Amino acid sequence: MIDFILRRFSYGLLVLLGVVIIVFFLFNVLPGDPARMMLGQRADVSSIEAINKDLGRDRSLPVQFLFYLNDLSPISFHNQSDSSDILFFNGDKYGSGITLLPLGSKRVFVLKKPYLRRSYQSGRKVSELLLDALPGTMVLAFSSMLFASLVGLFLGIVSALYKHSWVDRLSMVLAVLGMSVPSFFAGIIIAWVFGFLLSDYTGLHMTGGLYSSTVFGGEVLQLKNLILPTLTLGIRPLAVIVQLTRSAMLDVLSQDYIRTARAKGLGFRRIVLKHALRNALNPVVTAISGWFASLLAGAVFVEFIFGWKGVGKVTVDALEKYDLPVVMGAVLVVAMIFVIINILVDILYGIFDPRIRIQ
Amino acid sequence: MTKQALLEVRNLVTEFSTEEGWVRAVNAVSFTLHRGEIIGIVGESGSGKSVTSLSTMRLIQSPPGKISGGEILFHEPGKSPVDLLKLSEQEMRGYRGNRIAMIFQEPMTSLNPVFSCGEQVTEALVLHQNLDKKTAKEKTIQLFEKVKLPRPADIFDAYPHQLSGGQKQRVMIAMAMSCNPAVLIADEPTTALDVTVQKTILELMQELQQQNDMGILFITHDLGVIAELADRVIVMYKGHIVEQGSVLDIFKNPQHPYTKGLLACRPPLNKRLKKMPTIADFMREDDQGQLIGIEKSVDDALAEQEESTADRASRHKLLYSQKPILEVRNLNTHFPIRKGLLGRVRDYVRAVDDVTLDVYPGETLGLVGESGCGKTTLGRSILRLIEPTSGQILFKGQDLATLNPKEMRAMRKHIQIIFQDPYSSLNPRMTIGNAIMEPMQVHGILANDSERRRKVIELLERVSMKEMHFNRYPHEFSGGQRQRICIARALALSPEFIICDESVSALDVSVQAQVLNLLNELKRDFGFSYIFISHDLSVVKFMSDRMVVMQKGRIEEMGDPEEIYRAPKSEYTKKLIAAIPKGI
Repeated sequence: MIDFILRRFSYGLLVLLGVVIIVFFLFNVLPGDPARMMLGQRADVSSIEAINKDLGRDRSLPVQFLFYLNDLSPISFHNQSDSSDILFFNGDKYGSGITLLPLGSKRVFVLKKPYLRRSYQSGRKVSELLLDALPGTMVLAFSSMLFASLVGLFLGIVSALYKHSWVDRLSMVLAVLGMSVPSFFAGIIIAWVFGFLLSDYTGLHMTGGLYSSTVFGGEVLQLKNLILPTLTLGIRPLAVIVQLTRSAMLDVLSQDYIRTARAKGLGFRRIVLKHALRNALNPVVTAISGWFASLLAGAVFVEFIFGWKGVGKVTVDALEKYDLPVVMGAVLVVAMIFVIINILVDILYGIFDPRIRIQ
Repeated sequence: MTKQALLEVRNLVTEFSTEEGWVRAVNAVSFTLHRGEIIGIVGESGSGKSVTSLSTMRLIQSPPGKISGGEILFHEPGKSPVDLLKLSEQEMRGYRGNRIAMIFQEPMTSLNPVFSCGEQVTEALVLHQNLDKKTAKEKTIQLFEKVKLPRPADIFDAYPHQLSGGQKQRVMIAMAMSCNPAVLIADEPTTALDVTVQKTILELMQELQQQNDMGILFITHDLGVIAELADRVIVMYKGHIVEQGSVLDIFKNPQHPYTKGLLACRPPLNKRLKKMPTIADFMREDDQGQLIGIEKSVDDALAEQEESTADRASRHKLLYSQKPILEVRNLNTHFPIRKGLLGRVRDYVRAVDDVTLDVYPGETLGLVGESGCGKTTLGRSILRLIEPTSGQILFKGQDLATLNPKEMRAMRKHIQIIFQDPYSSLNPRMTIGNAIMEPMQVHGILANDSERRRKVIELLERVSMKEMHFNRYPHEFSGGQRQRICIARALALSPEFIICDESVSALDVSVQAQVLNLLNELKRDFGFSYIFISHDLSVVKFMSDRMVVMQKGRIEEMGDPEEIYRAPKSEYTKKLIAAIPKGI
């Protein structure tokens, strides 16, 4: 098991390396001068040069790439004494580090937190920027998937049990509708209807983040602002989960072992919830995890429509402005989330189905 | 002596709703099962035998099925009989698995794959006997001991996929026996198992029946199994009981032509037949679907078809004077077992281990062995559907093992294979006409599709199908018909060599006889050579000129089937022969 996780994790690292390579070189082909972005149009030549030197842009592209990797890697190679060297271990950049292995008088190997550099635009650390945005996205992704999974499983099971009944037909119609409505459209409609037209009854607003500031400068958790974005984001996964659960359940319910369970004298509820559902779960888990991971990457439209601060919005803003470090950081974080979720899902498969348990 | 009645079925009628209206699958069936008695219900698929058993448990899927008449009285000592059909679903559940238990045909799919074997048995105990988890576990392990599972405590925690087919069926039996049922219904419990495993399971069932004085309803399409086990036999045909009586009566003096047909169409072990008698030798249906019996005894039917030793000897002399069409030399097919972080190969499964054999033109070489013995892998390795590890496969002097993929593809025209499962070896979205035509198109046989179409129709007729079947889809046909279609498809390329891989194993005995006859007829007409692979020694013995017994990838014994049957040399062959149900 541990063997398996380690192996998957090392594959994951390779995936991340691939992502870094692709994004880094793609962005360096694009036009744009980070020094000008940071200093504005009227900056003088010497300060632009200073910044370019600091970023290592006076070197060739492959060397720049190696510097970037060195910054990212938790174990990195630095210069301890010469502050003009680009490899100088600058506490302002890297925070605190632990010296692992001194190499001669100047060079050291250091264990540190990955440094995602600073935004060209705002000058803030990318890690801070992302950490600010991540909780909002996580809460939203988690609540939408919870909503979609619970309702989806329930509707899927009921539709399978009462195949061709009105419940089944209704939920299938809803599922098709849910899949075909684009989220930016659904978002606007939902915001308008529940947050504006019916606002007096629902008590909800069209926009608002997870926290609202009070007059005293504190922040108050506003869970009700979560409802509408959750609904909007949850509709499509919900539709997929309903259909998958239904077809998996129908398949399982016609299996021989369900007949065995009935012949044993088990009750209806026990047969469905114990014997059938666990067998039907694997395709559903795949869908849920896939959607969850992509929601964690941020849901740009929904975040935009409901004024929700999240990773999606940060990424799109950075893209617009060629803010390479932010884009790189965001992409890396998202890729990492995918890798981790995939490992978790593989473990989960084994829990649900002993046949694919890892030896 | 009056035996105590346990289960009385009276005028049971079960119907299914189809596109043509309600169809009666079970029509006015009546019988009584007594305590300590084993009743065998025999019939082909579609005869209503399984529906009868499922109706007794009230497990008919509804819709489309419903039990529309009759009564099923369950007697318990000291209580008045209960009509199971009048109970509520809730009350019925108290009987299922408790007073009446059932085991099914497919042990592979009848256990829930995601729960441990132990849990699936304890579940019934906890439900019906209100035991706590710990006592239920102890009792389950005792049950596993009773059904002679090795290492019962380990099997308690094992999952179904970790057990063999026979072991799974033992778990099913333990589950059925858990609450000491008065009635056990066994629906083809050994059909999917090897003969040697079948033998041990039948012995186990008999033993348990005597210990617990149960009544058993044993459903099967194979009369041989019934003879080993049952006290009485019920023969069903198209939803009716056509004959019932004691085992001895049915076997020695069958009355109904259908019973005679069933008895005659099992390949006999003591005779050498040219052709299998089929049910059609004993009865036919007129235009109104009325049965017309043909007066003939089973012995006469068999005697008619017997081949004399002299005929056989002269035929073989001719056969073996030729050069072999296929020579397999030291063929090995090994599958690597990978382990560890880097997936290094630690060992090999030797599925085919140093096999050498010849097949002569016009010969049928039988290949027999239990599941896992490597017979299927051998067949596929010869065709290079599985790449052999080493060795030579000389087909008419040309080594197939050294051909490149393109040459091999051209070669496939000459060697065809007919698979086991006619249900899954036909593409459900392709009409059967197109399925048969496809190999001809691929190999560019005949000038255009209209000529090919004519050829397909000719082939369909050759396998007793009709022109109108050309545009139909596989699901519209029965298992036997589908196997004929697969045969027609193999014939489409006019091959010289055909490998039949368990081609009749999924079929009822009566249909099996027809397909075997067809294969022999085609062989005579077209001069094929066959490798005929089966786990059923009696079928292989009937079909083959020479027989090969395989075990663990190696050839155990090879020679004339009659001689091997009469005087087996290896222990394994002896065991195989001893396990065949002999009938009476």
